[in-house]
Amino acid sequence: MNIGSGTSRRTACTALALVLPLAALAACGGGGTTDTSAEQGSGTGTITVWAHQGVKAESTALQNAVKSFNSSQKKVKAKLTLIPDADYTKTITATDASKLPDVMEFDGPTMANFVYNKKLAAIDDYVSSATMANATDAIKAEGEIGGKHYGLGMYDSGLGVYGNKKLLDAAGVKYPKGLSDDWTAAEFTDAVKKLAAKDSDGKSLDLQEANGYASEWGTYGFAPVVWSAGGSLLKNGKAEGVLDAPAVASAMKTFQSWKTYTDPNTDGNAFTKGRVALSWVGHWMYPAYSKALGSDLVVLPLPDFGNGPKTGQGSWAWGIGAGSKNGKAAGAFLDSLLNDTNVTAMTTANGAPPGTRSVLAKSDLYKQGGPLQLFADQLAKPCGDSDITKSCVAVTRPLTAGYPTITAKFGEALASIYGGADPKSALEKATRAIDQDFSDNAGYKIP
Amino acid sequence: MTRTPLRRFLDYAVLSVLAFIFVLPVLYLILGSFKPSDQVLNGLTGFLPTHLSLANYTAVLDSFNSDATGYFWRFMGVSLLLATVVVLGGMIVNSMAAYGLARLRWKGQRAVFALVLLLMLVPFEAVAVPLFYMFNDQRNTIYIQAVPFIANAFSIYQFATFFRAIPPSIEEAARIDGAGPWRTFFAIIVPMSRPVFASVAILTFLTQWGSFLWPVLMVSDPSVRPLPLEISVFQGQMPVDWGQVLAFGVLLVLPVLIVFAFFQRWFVQGVASSAVKG
Amino acid sequence: MKTVEPAAAAPSGRDQSRPAARTRSPRPPRRNRDWVHGLLMSAPALTGLIAFVGVPFVYAVVLSFYNVRLGSPLAPTFFGLEQYRRLFTDPDMSGPFLRALLNNLTFAVVVVPVQTGLALALAILLNRKLKAIGVFRSLFFLPVVFPMALVAVIWRLILARSGDGLLNSALHVVSFGNWGAFDWLGDGFTAMASIIVLSIWQGVGFQMVILLAGLQQIPGELYEAAELDRASRWQQFRHVTLPGIRGTLVFVVMLTSLLSFRVFDQVYVLVKGGGLDEEATRTVMYQAVTTAFDQNNIGQASAITVVFFLIVVALTLIQRRAVRTGNED
Repeated sequence: MNIGSGTSRRTACTALALVLPLAALAACGGGGTTDTSAEQGSGTGTITVWAHQGVKAESTALQNAVKSFNSSQKKVKAKLTLIPDADYTKTITATDASKLPDVMEFDGPTMANFVYNKKLAAIDDYVSSATMANATDAIKAEGEIGGKHYGLGMYDSGLGVYGNKKLLDAAGVKYPKGLSDDWTAAEFTDAVKKLAAKDSDGKSLDLQEANGYASEWGTYGFAPVVWSAGGSLLKNGKAEGVLDAPAVASAMKTFQSWKTYTDPNTDGNAFTKGRVALSWVGHWMYPAYSKALGSDLVVLPLPDFGNGPKTGQGSWAWGIGAGSKNGKAAGAFLDSLLNDTNVTAMTTANGAPPGTRSVLAKSDLYKQGGPLQLFADQLAKPCGDSDITKSCVAVTRPLTAGYPTITAKFGEALASIYGGADPKSALEKATRAIDQDFSDNAGYKIP
Repeated sequence: MTRTPLRRFLDYAVLSVLAFIFVLPVLYLILGSFKPSDQVLNGLTGFLPTHLSLANYTAVLDSFNSDATGYFWRFMGVSLLLATVVVLGGMIVNSMAAYGLARLRWKGQRAVFALVLLLMLVPFEAVAVPLFYMFNDQRNTIYIQAVPFIANAFSIYQFATFFRAIPPSIEEAARIDGAGPWRTFFAIIVPMSRPVFASVAILTFLTQWGSFLWPVLMVSDPSVRPLPLEISVFQGQMPVDWGQVLAFGVLLVLPVLIVFAFFQRWFVQGVASSAVKG
Repeated sequence: MKTVEPAAAAPSGRDQSRPAARTRSPRPPRRNRDWVHGLLMSAPALTGLIAFVGVPFVYAVVLSFYNVRLGSPLAPTFFGLEQYRRLFTDPDMSGPFLRALLNNLTFAVVVVPVQTGLALALAILLNRKLKAIGVFRSLFFLPVVFPMALVAVIWRLILARSGDGLLNSALHVVSFGNWGAFDWLGDGFTAMASIIVLSIWQGVGFQMVILLAGLQQIPGELYEAAELDRASRWQQFRHVTLPGIRGTLVFVVMLTSLLSFRVFDQVYVLVKGGGLDEEATRTVMYQAVTTAFDQNNIGQASAITVVFFLIVVALTLIQRRAVRTGNED
């Protein structure tokens, strides 16, 4: 149904909505544009930018990047709006494509969903080829659907187990030096128990429980357990067979057994105060951990459940709104955002692996021999989101528009397993729910 | 009923103990807001007035100090504006409706009142999404956050219950004096209904102040965003700085406390001088 | 007696009006005009209610017959009664839904009497002519002023499962080290209890203030007369206090019941960020909101709210009937 464009369309839509709800939904719901390429525009003027507000240091670095962009040239002015982290994705989902900003940040795994809902435009035409070539392979893979790119991240993510060398040595625990001598799940559990025996409250492990397993942390932090056990969250559009596989259920049972030794860590200081010897968390805690432990800090890979060590990948990325009328200006902003100065500043602030080759090469943290070399090594062996072999390490979360359901159901299962539920039935429940949702939506095929 | 001094002492003692237990979590909130995060969650020492500083408050206010993030006092102002509009508008519109439906006698009154009661049972979450579809074009405005909530079936119910308890003799007297329903309502009924107006105002204010779901759906622009939404900023930190969360909580609640203190006096006066005795 | 009237606080007043009305003459012309005035007075609120509650709810009912996703480019597909069928028969959906209903019921059955009873007890305590009554009343009312989400955050810290949590360390001290850390929120048994405790904590002050106002309206002479008749305190309570606040009590019970059906904020905040056992505490509104906004499944969420609405209406009608028969005693 083609009612015209702009205001007249909107008034018609409101009137329709008041009278014939479903006709209105069909005609006016979904995207305001019929295709996902932004208009090129003049390359000058004001552009709107949305980002999430979470970690203070990141927000400050971003605001500085915007300020320097605005002061460095007169053609384009970027206006930044920050939206609270926890509601950010919901806000984008609730906003019609025509009202979305020119440039917007999004959490990596939600990209496919936004492309499906026609909220993101392909950026290949607007971002300079130099910027594109400078992005790491993992970042490029994270942002690609159907041969086109919809987003590039300033930084990637790293996930591992931080260890307190003093406590580890005192308990006589042998720990891996890198990916090649990674510990098996059994060895890891043994280490946890040995450390707990020497621990005053019997809790030697931190799993960032306080972040909530029913949130994205659950999926990001613990899908590697599924992957390492040979399973997956989704394969060929189905969770059946890969999420509810017996190996995954048994891996989850091991996970469940760690609860007795896990510090709830409500105040977030369990590792820095030495209450626990091991902390299963991402790069973002590195600044605080290295400040507290100094040379006693070791960075170890996640345990191997049989299919080789696996870890998470992907983080917030930047794209161009589908309704943008100034693609060229948006692209110019992205080029500036992804330059060495800004990427360095941002990754210094949050300790993340840089998303551009040039900064990664110069990084003190991530270079060979640097403290976070492990994360760089992991990202250098990307698996993509579907082909999870024994040798690759960094797995991208499923690139599908149905990701919200996958992460919701997996997180729910994880939380209930941790709370004592039977892993097999919890995983089967999640599998059925995911498959049911996919079949309701015709597999979420992106047109 | 005379009470011996011993009885009085006991009364005070019991009340004090109960009040203290009751107020403990609030004390925890206030004390914790002045402490660094690791002192907040430190067992019972969380209650000792040590390590006090304004650092959390400065940090909270600092988090909202630019156009991009929005400004703290602006969020506060938006919340106050929305709450005031909804409360004042509601008091007028809902009390009139309650009087018209519950006091005046006319055909169809029963049916309409039944409809209102039925609508009272519809939870907001049920209509949030349809409303979202209907009014998606008017997002990011102040009025769309206020107008849908002015008419409130539950307020009408509260007013109706109260008005029904007023002896009809009062209205009869007014009619004898030649006053029509409107004058009766505004000149006579309203002044004697202070308790219910205060009670409805407080309840509406509290509900509106804490409103979260609707603004999340309809607002992305910080200049028209209400305050409660911003707590998500502090919950998204890793690790969460509880001291800052609590400081935010205190700032969030402060205006409500002030408003309540004001209305409480009105409420008390109303009850003391209430003409509504059986 | 009109079927939809709530029990009034002064039924005697209304009965007196009947004879008075019959002896007055100039009625008919006013009655006609009353119709106009009644409609005019209620028009603004009625318009608002229909536009912002009635119409959207009908819309929600329509949506429940479709498969609709938030922001999806797919046109909504007609599902017929599929959403409802799933809600009641599909093991993965009806399980949580029915459990949610049970949880709501448990919550209501515990909170309504306990919170009302506690509020009444506090109101009676405060009704003694003590000095500083205002201070005490304010202290008990204080939690009411807090948005439920904030209450949830505070209690999350109090109930934290580590030894550092306030409750756990208090118990540790009180028991001389015998009772250690307990997972109040995560344990299936205590999870609902925790929600109940913090909800009562937040709500009892408001009820107390209303009941106190009701109590203060009972004339002191009635109590004196009862004392002269050598009635015990319990008898005074039963025969003077309770009848005197009947209307207020009914109102307070209905208010609490209504609010207990809508429990959502505290469960959501604590499940997402506090490790609350979801199975033991999910409420119907929690199901509806997470289905709508975390899974973007609008059709299913609408079905949940429609079913729930029907149940609440049925329960309220039953409650009213019970109150009415009680009234006629």
